[in-house]
Amino acid sequence: MIKDITIGQYIPADTPVHNLDPRSKIIITFVFITALFLVNTFFGYIYILAFMGIALGLSKISPKYLFRGLKPLVFIIVLTAILNIFMTEGEIIYKLWKLTITKEGLIQAAFMCIRLVFLITGASLLTLTTSPIALTDGIEKLLNPFKKIGVPAHELAMMMTIALRFIPTLLEETDKIMKAQMARGADFESGNMIARAKAMVPLLVPLFISAFRRADELAMAMEARCYRGGDKRTRMKQLKFEMRDIYASIITIAFGGLIIWSRF
Amino acid sequence: MKKTVFLVQAALIAAVYATITIALAPISYGQLQVRVSEALTVLPFFTPAAIPGLFVGCIIANIFGGGGPIDIIFGSLATLVAAYLSYKMKRKWLVPIPPILINGVVIGYVLHYLYGMPLIPSMLWVTLGQTMACYIIGYPLMNVLERYKDRIFSLR
Repeated sequence: MIKDITIGQYIPADTPVHNLDPRSKIIITFVFITALFLVNTFFGYIYILAFMGIALGLSKISPKYLFRGLKPLVFIIVLTAILNIFMTEGEIIYKLWKLTITKEGLIQAAFMCIRLVFLITGASLLTLTTSPIALTDGIEKLLNPFKKIGVPAHELAMMMTIALRFIPTLLEETDKIMKAQMARGADFESGNMIARAKAMVPLLVPLFISAFRRADELAMAMEARCYRGGDKRTRMKQLKFEMRDIYASIITIAFGGLIIWSRF
Repeated sequence: MKKTVFLVQAALIAAVYATITIALAPISYGQLQVRVSEALTVLPFFTPAAIPGLFVGCIIANIFGGGGPIDIIFGSLATLVAAYLSYKMKRKWLVPIPPILINGVVIGYVLHYLYGMPLIPSMLWVTLGQTMACYIIGYPLMNVLERYKDRIFSLR
């Protein structure tokens, strides 16, 4: 069952969005999110929609993948809507016992839900078009300037790369351990919440010990190949800013300008 | 050797954290969401490698979680600070306190800011979930790992 979970929803393709430098994509995503929080009218969302539309069109990602990312969050979106509808004070439209629905509440709920949907789909577009390895490469490069103040950029990126490499392995292992413990009579599904929480311990301990054994072996293998940290390390794929990154930046700056302009 | 072992141990702690978050994501107890992987926040008690490990694990888990960059940045920074404070705790029963309080406040605020939820209830809600993960799963985990700590965590 665990195997059904796809991690890193990366969909490889050869499109202008996929081929952008991961650094540009990370920065653009941050600008997009900031812009999203700057929007203060429904009209402003038109620009957001247009920007998303351009990015989505160029990336040739089917919108169905974007909406798939929303599924696990339906609960939180609905909760947001309900809380906003009932908790906002204003002109009362409908009253049921102590619950009141206000006009402002409905507007606020719609506004928050739209923001949330854009937030999630915008972030998924980054992970859908960027492989996890490219993403960590980009993060390492972006963190480089902070090395001077003691941020261990290379080490963090290396940890991320190793961790990403081991997640599928450990997922398989979790599945095996669960089955093995179930064969010994472990019960992960029944009982009250405290019993179910406690049932996790026999799963975590073996997983943990096996992970540390792997860490030992990997450290030894890296040492044997003369791993000496990030200094003077060369890479197989060099990141390079190209013309398309400049075009993307121009579009993003224009988009940011429009959003700020739409506030007034 | 020590430096590489530290780095790799941290990486594997990150991998375990992310794996558990992803594998057990559907497990929630009715209204109360318990992130089982938060039980691993007891690890700084055994090894300082858990501080960057939990941080990176939380970044990865939140990237896949889909909460967006705000969740990725603030959630992970909260975990980093909490892990450091747990590492500084000298008494065993105090170790789960920082992740409970810091996440309760920070994540509660993030929920309030992102989803417009009422501030105090969402903080209490997160704190309760964290308490479940850290004391009911994390604390027994700490007791079991303590028995094997010399064999597991030793930096050769």
